[in-house]
Amino acid sequence: MLDRHHGWNVSYKPAILGFIFSLILIAAMYRFAIHHHLSGVAFSWAIFGLGTTTALVQLVFFLHVGMESKPHWNVITFAFTVLVIAIVIGGSIWIMNNLDYNLMPMSH
Amino acid sequence: MKLAKINAQEGYPDTHHDLHSKTVFGFWVYLVTDFVLFGTFFATFAVLHNNTYGGPGAAQLFKLPFALVQTLLLLTAAFVSGLGGAAAHRKHKGATIAFFALTMVLGIVFMGMELNEFSRLIKAGHGWEKSAFLSIFFTLVGTHGIHVLFAILWVIALLIPVIKEGITAESLRRLTCLRMFWQFLNIIWVFIFTFVYFMGDY
Repeated sequence: MLDRHHGWNVSYKPAILGFIFSLILIAAMYRFAIHHHLSGVAFSWAIFGLGTTTALVQLVFFLHVGMESKPHWNVITFAFTVLVIAIVIGGSIWIMNNLDYNLMPMSH
Repeated sequence: MKLAKINAQEGYPDTHHDLHSKTVFGFWVYLVTDFVLFGTFFATFAVLHNNTYGGPGAAQLFKLPFALVQTLLLLTAAFVSGLGGAAAHRKHKGATIAFFALTMVLGIVFMGMELNEFSRLIKAGHGWEKSAFLSIFFTLVGTHGIHVLFAILWVIALLIPVIKEGITAESLRRLTCLRMFWQFLNIIWVFIFTFVYFMGDY
């Protein structure tokens, strides 16, 4: 496992692969945005999916997440961070939408 | 002595490698806390992005081709810093300096474009004080920009000892953290690009 991690640090290959994959994903996002052949919600999900995939590709190929030796502390700390961010973002959107909804009669 | 023996049994090659991996892990923990900082900004953006106070929204203010060029600049900077990290591990001094210097140049061009966009918006009367949407836009993108500025200065600070003394265990450790920082900045930008520039566009 240690050797594999060392290999990822010494090799140019992961960076090159990550760069190519990111370019393909960003080109796909740009095509969707320019041509507008998807409507509203479908467009948002497509862009969200492609953007998140690009970030994941870079986490693995650039930052080597998951490529470390046995106690996967990098992955564990990252997973916990994702949980915290999901609670903060999801919770904010949920509670603020609810507030907007309850304030409807006053603001309109 | 006892600890070194235990380390050897568990397959750690030596204490030098141990220090390297501990430093890199410590830096990773800093990076995940910075992810949380940006996460709170993205949460605020998600809540406020429609609160334009009658002013123009993202679709009217931002130009996609401009943001795409910025994205490609920062992506290339992160890619080249990855090559620089690998070159440093191979103890190739010249290649390491060249790759990190190129990373820095790409970062400077990126910052120039960002400041250009900020001044264009402010001159057109769309400063951060105009609406909640513009406040969070300048906060989110500006905080990322300050990180990029710091990363540019950091390259200069790290390359001077490398030029003088070559790649030592210490500089390798620091260059690894620097490479991770550039790659982290690019991941944050991918989300800015996705949520601020693209999703605001339809």
